[in-house]
Amino acid sequence: MCYNELLSMFRENLVHIPFLTDKILLFQYGGSAVYGNPLVNVFANVPILNFILAAIFWRPLFAMLFIPGLVAIMLVLGIIIWLERKMTAKVQWRYGPLEVSRPIGGIIQPLADGMRYLFQEVIVHGEAHRPYFLQFPLISFLPVLLPILVIPAGAIYAIRTPYAIPIAIALVALIPIVLIAIGWASNSKYAYIGSMREVFMYFAYEIAMIIAAMAMVVAYGSGDAFVIVQKQSLIPGILINPFACLVFFVATAMATARFPFEIPDADSEVVFGPFVEYTGIIFGVVMTLAYEKLYILSLLLSILFLGGWNGPYIVWLGDLSPAIWLFIKAFVLVVIFVFFRTVYGRYRLDQAVRAGWSSLLALSFVSLGVGVCIASAGWF
Amino acid sequence: MNDPNIKNIKFLHSGLLSPVKKWGAKWSLWAVHLVTSCCGVELAHTYASGYDAERWGTLNFGMMRQTNLIIVEGTISKKMAKALRMTWEQMPDPKFVIVMGACGLEGGLFWNSYHIVKPSEIVPVDYFVPGCPPTPEGLMRGILALQKKIESGEAKATAKYQPVRLEEVLEIKEVKERKPPKSPVKIAEKPEIKIEPRDVEWEFGKSFVDELNQKLAGAGEAFITDVNRVYIRTTKERFLEVAEKLSEDFDHVKSVNVIDVIHEDKFIVEYTVSSYSSKELMPVLVTISAEIPRSNPRFPSVIDIWPSADYQEREMYDFFGVWFENNPAMGEKFLIAPEVETPLRKDFKIPQPNYVLGGESE
Repeated sequence: MCYNELLSMFRENLVHIPFLTDKILLFQYGGSAVYGNPLVNVFANVPILNFILAAIFWRPLFAMLFIPGLVAIMLVLGIIIWLERKMTAKVQWRYGPLEVSRPIGGIIQPLADGMRYLFQEVIVHGEAHRPYFLQFPLISFLPVLLPILVIPAGAIYAIRTPYAIPIAIALVALIPIVLIAIGWASNSKYAYIGSMREVFMYFAYEIAMIIAAMAMVVAYGSGDAFVIVQKQSLIPGILINPFACLVFFVATAMATARFPFEIPDADSEVVFGPFVEYTGIIFGVVMTLAYEKLYILSLLLSILFLGGWNGPYIVWLGDLSPAIWLFIKAFVLVVIFVFFRTVYGRYRLDQAVRAGWSSLLALSFVSLGVGVCIASAGWF
Repeated sequence: MNDPNIKNIKFLHSGLLSPVKKWGAKWSLWAVHLVTSCCGVELAHTYASGYDAERWGTLNFGMMRQTNLIIVEGTISKKMAKALRMTWEQMPDPKFVIVMGACGLEGGLFWNSYHIVKPSEIVPVDYFVPGCPPTPEGLMRGILALQKKIESGEAKATAKYQPVRLEEVLEIKEVKERKPPKSPVKIAEKPEIKIEPRDVEWEFGKSFVDELNQKLAGAGEAFITDVNRVYIRTTKERFLEVAEKLSEDFDHVKSVNVIDVIHEDKFIVEYTVSSYSSKELMPVLVTISAEIPRSNPRFPSVIDIWPSADYQEREMYDFFGVWFENNPAMGEKFLIAPEVETPLRKDFKIPQPNYVLGGESE
C-alpha cells in the first residue's frame, strides 16, 4: 500500500530528460517508426528496480543527488583540486601533477591523494576531545548540503519557497561554527589560533555578505530563486547593482578562505589552522569543506547576479539544460576564485578585518541603498 | 617485524586492496621538509620550475600530520635529532624517510664533530641521496627509487660506486700515511677576569672618581675602565656600605651579574647602577663588584636601597644559586623549571637526551 503510494508519488513528479526518460526514436522505415523504451519504462514492472529508478528520477531527490547536489559537488571537487595545482604550476612555469596519468594531464591526481589518505592511519592525539574531534568533520556536511534543498537549478529543485535565498545564506553561515568547533575539539594551540582567526574573519565578512544578498532580494522584490532568475532574463543582476555583486564576491573569497584572504588556514603561519591535527581520511574530508562552501556560494552568486540558469535551451537535455547552465556559471566562478591563489599574496588578519568592517560594510550599505531605490522605482 | 620500514611495506602489500594502497602511496608522496642546512636550497630547486618534482605527485609541505614522507635536508645535530624524532612520530603510518646529503649519510663535513647524529640512528631511513649537496636530479632519483620500492616491495640501490685508489690514479709511488687533523681544542689553563684602570680622556670622570674615592673612604676602590664606565671593587662585608653611599647619586640598578670563576673557587657578583635623576650622571655606568666563595654563595641583597634589583637577583638565584639575603622572594624559581639546578654554573652537566631508534623517547 505504502509502496504503491510512494511509487505513484514519485512518478507524478519525475525529472523530464528526453534522452533518459522519453521514448527514443530508434529508426524509421517507410511509414512506421520503431521506438526504444526509455530507461525508466524498461524496468517499469520489475518490483524493486522500478521503485529505485523512480525515486532517483523524482525531482527533489534528483536535485539533491545529482545536480546541483552531491554528484555535481564531487565533480567540482575532483576537478578543482587538480585544476588549482595545475593552474598554480602553469603560472610558475611548471607542469604540475602529470606522471600519474600522462595522457590526460594527471587529472586523477586528487584520486591518488584520496586513496593515500584513505589508507593512512587516523591519529587522535591525547589532548583532543575524542567524540567531537571525530564527529565534527561529518557534522560539517549538514550545513554544506542543506542549502541545496532550497537552491533550485531550473526545473530541478527540492523545495520552492519565497525565502529560498535567506534560508540558503543562513545555512551557509553555520559552516564557520563547525570550523570553530573543530578547532576547539583539536585542543592544540595552532588549531586554536586558526579558529580565532576564523571567528574574526566570520564577523568581518558575514554582515556585509548578508546585507548585499538582502539588497538583491529587496531589488527583485522576492527571495524566490525562480522569480529572481526570471527577472534577470534581460539584464543580469551584476549590471543592476554592481556594488552588491562586488561585496558578495569579496565576501565569498573571505568566507571560503581563498587568497588573498587565506588567513584562517594559512599553512605557512598556523599550519592549516583548525585542521592542523587531522590525519588520514578525516583530513581529506575537512580539507574539501572550503571547496564545497565555495561551490554553494558560487551557485548563490550566479543566481543572484549572473542570471542563474538563463541560457540557450538545449532540447535533448530537457530539464537538465538550465541546470547545466547554472553549473557551468558556478564552476567558472569557482575557477576564478581558485585562480586567486596563484596571483595574490596573503593579507594580515588586521588588514582583512579592517577591510571587512570599513570599506566592505560601507559598500554593502551603498548596495542596499541602490537596491531600495530600484525597488521603489519599480524597474522590475 | 618490529622494523617500521618493513611494517610499512608489508601493510601496503597485504590484503585485497593492496593495488589501490600501493598506487595511492606511490603517486602521493607528500614530503615534510626538515631543512637543517644548505640541502634545503636544492630541495627548493627540485620543486621549483625547471625541475618540478610535483610532476610525480609529490608535494612539499611544512607540516607532518598530513604527509607521509620526511626529506631530511642535511646535518642532524643532537638538538635537531629531537625535532626529527618528534616529526617522525607525529606522522601517520605508512611513512617513509629520505635523507639528503653527505652530512646525513656519514657526517660529511662535520664527520668528527661532537654534536652530530646520524639520521639512520634516529629514524628508519628508506633512501640516502649522497652528494654535498645532491643535485635536484639526485633528489628526484631518490623519490623515484622510493616509488619503485613501494611498488615492488624491495629496496634497491640505484647506483654503485667503484672504490678508487688514489695512488693508482695519480701514479704515486710512495704513499704517506695521512691522518685526519685533530679537532682544535683551545682551553686556557687559568682564564683571568682582568679589570684594570685605563687612562682615557674623560675630565669629568677623573674628578668624579676622585670625589667617589673620598666619599667611599676605604670601603671600596673606584677606577675608570673606559669613557663613562667606572668600576668599584669592594668586599661582601662592606658592599652595603658602598651601595648606601652610591645611592645618593645613583637611583637604580641596571643589571645584576654573577661570574663563575671555577678554578679560583669563587663567584664575582656585579651590580651595575646608573642614574635617571642627575643629568651629567646619566651616561655613567658604575659597576660595584665583590667576590664570594663558591662553597658559601650568600650575598647581601640591595633591595632596600635599590628596589629595582629584585627580579635580577632572583634571576641570578635561578641560574647560579647565589642566595641574596633579605630578598623576600628568594627560594622560589621563576625563570626555569624547579627541578633544574643552577644551569649557568660552569660545572653544570647538560642532560643528554636519547632519541636513538628503539630507545625510549620523551
